[in-house]
Formats: sequence, C-alpha cells, structure tokens
Amino acid sequence: MSNYEFSPVMSGDKPCCQISKRAQICLGLGLLVVSLSVVVAVVLLKVRSPPELLEWHGHGTTSHFSEIVLGRCFTYTQIIRPELRDEDCRKIVDAFKSAFLSKNPCNITKEDYQPLINLVTQTIPCNKTLFWSKSKDLAHQYTWVQREFFTLEDTLLGYMADDLTWCGDPSTSDLNYQSCPHWRTDCSNNPGSVFWKVISQKFAEAACGVVQVMLNGSLTEPFNKNSTFGSVEVFNLNPEKVHTVQAWVMHNIGEVSSDSCSGYSLNELKLIVRERKMAFICQDNYRPARFVQCVKNPEHLSCRSQI
Amino acid sequence: MAARGCAPWWLPLLQLLLLQLGAGAAGERWGGEGTSPHLQSIFLGRCAEYSSLLRPELRDKNCTAIWEAFKVVLDKDPCSVLPSDYDLFIDLSMHSIPRDKSLFWENNHLLVTSYSDNTRRFMPLCDVLYGRVGDFLSWCRQKNGSGLDYQSCPTSEDCENNPVDSYWKRASMQYSRDSSGVIYVMLNGSEPTGAYPVKGFFADFEIPYFQKDKITRIEIWVMHEIGGPNVESCGEGSVKILEERLEAMGFQYSCINDYLPVKLLKCVDHSTHPDCALNSAAASTQREVPSLYAEPSTSLIIPFLVAMALGSQM
Repeated sequence: MSNYEFSPVMSGDKPCCQISKRAQICLGLGLLVVSLSVVVAVVLLKVRSPPELLEWHGHGTTSHFSEIVLGRCFTYTQIIRPELRDEDCRKIVDAFKSAFLSKNPCNITKEDYQPLINLVTQTIPCNKTLFWSKSKDLAHQYTWVQREFFTLEDTLLGYMADDLTWCGDPSTSDLNYQSCPHWRTDCSNNPGSVFWKVISQKFAEAACGVVQVMLNGSLTEPFNKNSTFGSVEVFNLNPEKVHTVQAWVMHNIGEVSSDSCSGYSLNELKLIVRERKMAFICQDNYRPARFVQCVKNPEHLSCRSQI
Repeated sequence: MAARGCAPWWLPLLQLLLLQLGAGAAGERWGGEGTSPHLQSIFLGRCAEYSSLLRPELRDKNCTAIWEAFKVVLDKDPCSVLPSDYDLFIDLSMHSIPRDKSLFWENNHLLVTSYSDNTRRFMPLCDVLYGRVGDFLSWCRQKNGSGLDYQSCPTSEDCENNPVDSYWKRASMQYSRDSSGVIYVMLNGSEPTGAYPVKGFFADFEIPYFQKDKITRIEIWVMHEIGGPNVESCGEGSVKILEERLEAMGFQYSCINDYLPVKLLKCVDHSTHPDCALNSAAASTQREVPSLYAEPSTSLIIPFLVAMALGSQM
C-alpha cells in the first residue's frame, strides 16, 4: 500500500503550473511559431491545390496527348511524307495547343486555330482527295493500300489529331484530363469539333480535279446534309479547281444491294454538285473498295463473284 | 538491307535516294541509313500512343523508363551492340500476345501491315510495343566519339553487331517466345531469291525460339503477286525446306497458296486484272479437292473450291 498523503490545498495557493517568466515567454513564442506555420501551410496548400476545372459530359483529354501529337508529327514529316521534313513540329504542336489552352472549351472559334492553319501548307495532288461520310474505317483501309489517295486523316494535321480528344480550362494553362465538352450535350464550339470543321474546310478548298467521296449505302441517307461532308466539305469545293465529284456508295457485305445511286439522298447530292457547276458521277459498290470489304468476308457470295 | 519491321514498299527507294545524296556529302562510311531525326520524340510518341490508345490495358507501361533502357545502345560503338544489350528494354516493354494472333513474314512488308489492320486482325512484330517503337527507324552512335551518327549506320554487311539488327534479333526472339496457339507465316512466292530465306530473321531468330508446348500448329501462306511470277509455291524450293524443317522439329503444319483474304487485299490494287475476276467456268465445275498441303496455283480457283467444299460439308 502506498504510503503517501495528499497535502491539503491551502487557500491562496497559485494553480498547479508554476512556470517561470522565461518559460512563459518561450512557450508563447513557440505557440506563435506554430500558429504562423499553420497559416503559411494553409496558404501554400490553397495556392498549390488543383484549380476547380469546369466539368463536362465527354471524355477528358487523351492521356499523354502532347507526346502522342508530337511523335505523330515527326513520324509523318520524317517517314510517311518526307517531302514535309522541313516542317517545325514543335512550333506546330505549340500552335495547336495555344488554340485552346487557358480558354473556355465551349467558346472556341475558327480564328483560334488560324495560327496553326497558317503554319502548315500541304499540297494534295489533284484527283487524289477522298472524302468520306459514315464510312471512316473503310475509307482508311482503302487509302492504306492505295497510298496515293488522301483522306483528311492522311494529311499532316488530320493524322496528328485522329481519334484524340483535347480541351483546356480557363483556370489553368494545362490540359483538362478529367472531361471535355460533349458535342451534343454540352456545346458544339468545343476544341475538337471546331478543329475538324476548320481543317475539313481547308481540305475541301485545296482539292482539285476529280474528288472522290465514299458514302455508306447501308444507311437510309448515304448523303446526309448534317454530316461534315454534307455541310462543310461539299460547299467548300472550288468549282474552278474541281471539275467532277465522284461518289462511291458502299453497302455492307451481305446486304441486299439496292441501287443507292438513284436514290433520293444521292439525288440531293447530285443537285448540289451540279448547281455548283461541277459534274457528278456515282458508283454503287466501287470495286476496289469492295475488295477491301471482302477481306473480312471472303466466303460471302458477293465476294466470290469478285474473284 | 531494308529496315526490319513493317516498312512500306517505298522505304528501299527512299534509302537509295538518301544513300546517293549522302554519297555526295563528305564522310559517309556505313551502308545503311543514318539515325532518324527526332528519334526520341518519335519513340516516346509511339510508346505513349500504343499504351494509352491502342492497348489501354498497357497504360502502366513507363515510356520514359523504356526509352532510358533503349538508349544505352546509343552510347556504344556501333559495331559492338549485342542483342542482349536490349534485354532491359525488352523487359520493360514486353507484353502478352493474344493466342492465334502471331503473324510471321518475309518479304511482305506492306501486305502484312495492311492485312493485320493495326492489331485488329493480327499482331505481327510491328504491332507489338517493342516492335512498334523501332519500326522504320534507324539509330547508331558515331564511330569515333559520342553523339548520334545522322549520316549513316552500319548494316549487317558492315558489321554483325550493329544497333538496328541486334534490336530486331532481340525483338524477334521475344516475339517468337511469346507466341502461342496457331502460328501464321506469310511468304512471298514471287520473290526471286526464294519465298523462305534460309538465312534471315525468321529462320535464325524466330523459328528456333518457337515454344513447342504453346504452339498448336503452323499455317504458311505463300502469296504471289497478281499477274506476277510464280517463283515458288507450297511444297516447292525453299518452301519445301521450311516445311521439312518444321516437320523435323515436330510441328504440325499446313500450307496454302494465295490465302484468300490476303489475295482479296492484293486485288484492291489490281481490280481489273483477270486473276481478280470471276472465272464462271470454274465456279460450276466440280474439281478434285486438294490435299492439306496445297498444290501450286496461280489462280483463285483452288482456294475457291476448297471454300466451297468446306462450306458444303457444314
């Protein structure tokens, strides 16, 4: 058993912590230092914390966007089309990014991309332009084999941007990897949509001779006035340079091959082209492109009839 | 020697042109193309694209680390680079290859890339990460001192242990080791020197590394140019040597002349050629169904009838 006694509290005694004046000063200083540190830390955290980005319904910027775009530019100019080897890829990528960085991605204009457009001059040989509408995969597989033809994505800028998503935010000079505006549910003046509109227009303006367009004959409207081809490209063809528009209407293998060339939708296209003083030719299931489709369906009856 | 990978048909022409231009300049010493300009940016861009876009399941690949591992060879004497110098590079960039998707080839650059459709149909070496980053590219250090040689790089004729050949040897070995299921091989039966080069990447750095326990069978396609010369077909010449080699190794194999889907792709470029047209007489006539090891054929009749016969059995 412990052998101690409580000493009675005497009235007049001071409370338990008998601290010397020096100790009090040290303690006070210590508390001050701690408080200041806390304040500084909070301020720094607030400054360094990620900005509040605007939120959208579409996918965010593609991961490693900058590296991909730069690498593609060099691959294109050094290897694929070495006649463009003197293009300055770093300048091009910088101009690309400054079109939309630090801006509200629903307020992007054609003018934002003008510095980029002015930087790249690429001449496409006459008779080798291939537009496409709702037939992207087939058009690209075709130009992969027939390398003298160019779709938009076979030009430098199209090649750089194909299948990528990008946007910025007014609160930062960085790319927004969280989300980007969806064309329908957010806004149409977003960085991607405006880009493709701008370069589609330029692509059409630069075309000459006979231009080709690959259309999807399996749709009720192979020619759609709301598509990029129907609303931008066909109206930016220059009749002084382009004398003929040739449509290849491709049906999916296995579908009953209706004669889409004489259908209502293609007739609309014919009228537009002729009104713009250009000739119009239409082919159902253009044979070389048909072979491309047959690679996936070699046993099909319509493919056997090809061989 | 043309760059390995899936180099397009115009690459040899480009190389020739560059060689001639280079010959005009002073001091060209090697027989091959110089280091590709902007090598690092192209390499990193391709790595990022492959792992972010094409195969997002590989998104944890560290492209910076892969480049750091690769670039050690850029500090070495350009005639002293061994395949094993790429071991760490391969370790960091390797990934599994889906079963039945491996496509080996010789003398069929453009056709292989067209047919494989960017990994969707097949996955040849240039559609694998460690093949994609080096595809079409060339690299070497200068002979004397540091810095890259942009004028020329050694080919196998200059020296065996050059950076580019050693890269493809190492990549080929890995690709072979990681292949499984049905193995496909596309050969060029119109190649004057023979469809199967007995000394080449496929013969020396791929076949020896086939994993017997992972491979079910090997299917050879001997393609011929549309209207072009039929130098060799299944069961003939160097193709026969390949068949015998595979048999001796204990592999089950088959050989098809002008495999139809690939032939259709070739026809895109020759749509009006008779070899790409319907032969109505053949369509209605019953002919002998060929054996598993198909006989030589310069037309599509035999594959067409095989397809018909197989179809009628279903």
